[in-house]
Amino acid sequence: MSNSTHNALSTKIGRRSFMKMAAIAGAFGATSAFASSNVTRAATEEEVKNPFPGSKKVRTICTACSVGCGITAEVQNGVWVRQEVAQDHPVSKGGHCCKGADMIDMVRSEVRLKYPMVKEGGKWKRISWDTALERISKKLSDIREKDGPDATIFLGSAKMSTEQAYYFRKFAAMYGTNNIDHQARI
Amino acid sequence: MANTWGYGAMTNSLGDIQNAKAIIIFGANPAVNHPVGFSHFLKAKERNNAQLIVVDPRYTKTAAKADIFAQIRPGTDIPFMYGMLHIIFKNGWEDKKFINDRVYGIEDVRKEAKKWTPQKVADVTGVSVEKLMQITRVYAKSTPGTLIWAMGLTQHTIGSSNTRMAPILQLCLGNMGVEGGGCNILRGHDNVQGATDMCCLSHTLPGYYGLSEGSWKYFAKSWGVDFKWLQGRFKSPKMMSTKGFTLAKWYSGVLAGRPGEDKIHNAGTNLKALFVMGNGITSIAQQAKVKEALDNLELIVLADPFVNEAAILTDKKDDVFILPAATQFETSGSVTATNRSAQWRYQVVEPLYESKPDQEIMFELAKKLGFYDELTKGMLIRENKKSFKWPEDATDEIARIIKTIGLTGWTSKRIKKHTDNWHMFDEVSLRGFGPMKGEYYGLPWPCWTETHSGSPILYNIHRPVKEGGMGFRNRFGLVHDGVDLLAGKNSAPVGSKVKGGYPEITAKNIEKVLGIKLTADEKRRIGKNWKVDTSGIIAQKCMEAGIAPYGNAKARAKVWTFPDQIPMHREPLHSPRPDLVKKYPTYKDKPNHYRVDTKFMSKQSEKDWSKEFPINLVTGRLVNMNGAGMENRASKYLAALSPEMFCDIHPGLAANYGIRNGDMMWIYSPEGTKIKVKARYSYSVSEDRVFLPFHFAGHFQGEDLSGRYPEGTKPYAVGESANTVTNYGYDIITQIPETKGGLCRIEKA
Repeated sequence: MSNSTHNALSTKIGRRSFMKMAAIAGAFGATSAFASSNVTRAATEEEVKNPFPGSKKVRTICTACSVGCGITAEVQNGVWVRQEVAQDHPVSKGGHCCKGADMIDMVRSEVRLKYPMVKEGGKWKRISWDTALERISKKLSDIREKDGPDATIFLGSAKMSTEQAYYFRKFAAMYGTNNIDHQARI
Repeated sequence: MANTWGYGAMTNSLGDIQNAKAIIIFGANPAVNHPVGFSHFLKAKERNNAQLIVVDPRYTKTAAKADIFAQIRPGTDIPFMYGMLHIIFKNGWEDKKFINDRVYGIEDVRKEAKKWTPQKVADVTGVSVEKLMQITRVYAKSTPGTLIWAMGLTQHTIGSSNTRMAPILQLCLGNMGVEGGGCNILRGHDNVQGATDMCCLSHTLPGYYGLSEGSWKYFAKSWGVDFKWLQGRFKSPKMMSTKGFTLAKWYSGVLAGRPGEDKIHNAGTNLKALFVMGNGITSIAQQAKVKEALDNLELIVLADPFVNEAAILTDKKDDVFILPAATQFETSGSVTATNRSAQWRYQVVEPLYESKPDQEIMFELAKKLGFYDELTKGMLIRENKKSFKWPEDATDEIARIIKTIGLTGWTSKRIKKHTDNWHMFDEVSLRGFGPMKGEYYGLPWPCWTETHSGSPILYNIHRPVKEGGMGFRNRFGLVHDGVDLLAGKNSAPVGSKVKGGYPEITAKNIEKVLGIKLTADEKRRIGKNWKVDTSGIIAQKCMEAGIAPYGNAKARAKVWTFPDQIPMHREPLHSPRPDLVKKYPTYKDKPNHYRVDTKFMSKQSEKDWSKEFPINLVTGRLVNMNGAGMENRASKYLAALSPEMFCDIHPGLAANYGIRNGDMMWIYSPEGTKIKVKARYSYSVSEDRVFLPFHFAGHFQGEDLSGRYPEGTKPYAVGESANTVTNYGYDIITQIPETKGGLCRIEKA
């Protein structure tokens, strides 16, 4: 067994690292080493039928386009583990395009933003939410005070929920401007 | 479209397209942009033997499935449709009864159509006389026919004329308000319809109430805040009723005052701060201007699940904030599909990392800005609550207030019930069965009351109002030029107490129109008219009488408040046909157009653009991406399908410039900007035009900016934004940019 496999085995085992290990083990063809290491146990009857016992299936809607295809999201212990098409959805009838089929990866993409950041002197710097919102609201208040509410523009989104879009409009109104728009314009 | 018959929305549904005998598509590519929706088109072909006609500047994947394809020159849809009408009127194929009873102003259209002989149309559009005749015959003879469009029709200086022209064609053929007919706009993003209905727009309040003082008062009251307080938040009462900047031209708000920039009217100030939530502003026209604007702002806030590439584009060194917003799967709420059906998007997982849903970001900011209580009070009013539950109380707040498009019936409880039971609905008619009997899937608006069925087909008089029937909306007065604008005899929805047309219902006319007597208590509680009647009395009484609260009027072919009362052809600002520019010039420049003095004539007549820039430039989408593409390029798998930015070019055109398949090439725009992209030989474009997908960012005018992404956030594909070279040009009414009909010059890199 190579060093890296050995190191991986000695770290604390979570579900994801377990999967990685399995892949590594497979890659090395190390069936004997792996099978005899007592890491795996016999799968229960339920586990044989369903790899995610106790998971729940959530009906939700694709965010790609306006067709509104149904998605069946399978969630286990708070983790989105599997995405299925919705065969019984009246519009999508089990159909998915490549964008829709990949919704699960939008959530778990490794290049997502993970924390607030600010650019200072041309460099990105991690900051806390509280600092970010404090600094943003200070600046928005100052600009509102100095140049008036129309010195700010709010650009919302056709990817928001209806409720969020409504509240975004209301937010701009209460800030005091009609400088607000979103993608329907283009 | 709203200016033709009342609402600017898809009139039928995707499933209903299966009822069509003919489908004509202008400037839409559903096979790529709405692949699952397109399956209904294919079923129409297979099951109903429908003829599929595609009119597009490109031989798209949709065109590949068509029975007839016409390769039209960009920006000439109006002549094409007038050409169709010319043939239709000449042969008497129009639906005379429908026109007589339900349409106003068709005579002017008839006169204009007469001028557009097939020969003339062929010269302007590039579509042969034979093909135009063939398409017209097939489409006019195979009714019901459905007409589909998307951005290919709207993104022009004459976009708002295009979107009136298509309804006129449908009205003339009697294709409106019937199964298998309709004007079916395919919306882009998942919630364009919902976000538009909520009017994240600079010219109106939620529900299209406009910006008049009366509307603001209605909202102040409905939000539970003092009108004076709300008015005081604005610079002045006048600014409160003044349309704001748009997404298309906000950059002018920053750049105004510099040499050559458009002038603005923004309460005496330039824009200093930009707050963006979920909007890929790297995919709007004039990227070089957008960049310059970003560079000159004092504050930029970008909230998105991924890096909004505005942060990469700008040279700004300080005060650029990027906030990790949660995805829509990490929160919940309703979403309105292209056919006006609501669905409940249930939360799948808790927000990952430090991400927060949009509403939490708004609420926390509102707290710090001092208007959190006012912002959220509307959610407490319905049940006189002490605290709110997101998003249900927001959904119910919207249902309580928005009457104009009939959202009263959209309570959170009902929307959820529909999604929970989505297996209980028919795919074609959307009719429910079992426990959902008597309702249509997603309660397509208008959904007049809390027990209303929803309205899957707008303007359908073959169904009672309480089962989704209605005539055209009475929105433009009762009489124009001495002609009655209400619908003719026997054109009321079935089961109506009134047999012909009737005005929109108000507290004043309800007793007379409906032939009823209100009790003293009802008289006390009733709102002024159906749009502001939160008591529900008008809607309820109307349902009982089979009356649509918004009236029953004629659709209008003529919009007397527009610069062109009927749609007129005008060449794009940058046209490859200088001879036609002389014949069909654009509009005069428009002052104070959404706060910006916007160029039309002065730009078009500056010079003969086609000399230096002889090639048409068309942009569009790829199947694996949408919008600015950040979301999709952040997926390894989707990015792998189109890892680099490219330009589709005909080998014949490429050969003239010595460009080989896979070579890098430069594209120059009349704006003085350029992009460097990979040439991809394709016969989908003709030899006079090139195609660019608009989903890329991270490169700018040949420079790779990808070193600017914060660590660990760079997407799996970056490239030039097509919108760096799309041309100047904006619609005369909506200010949508003219990205579908510009010019460029190419060169081997």
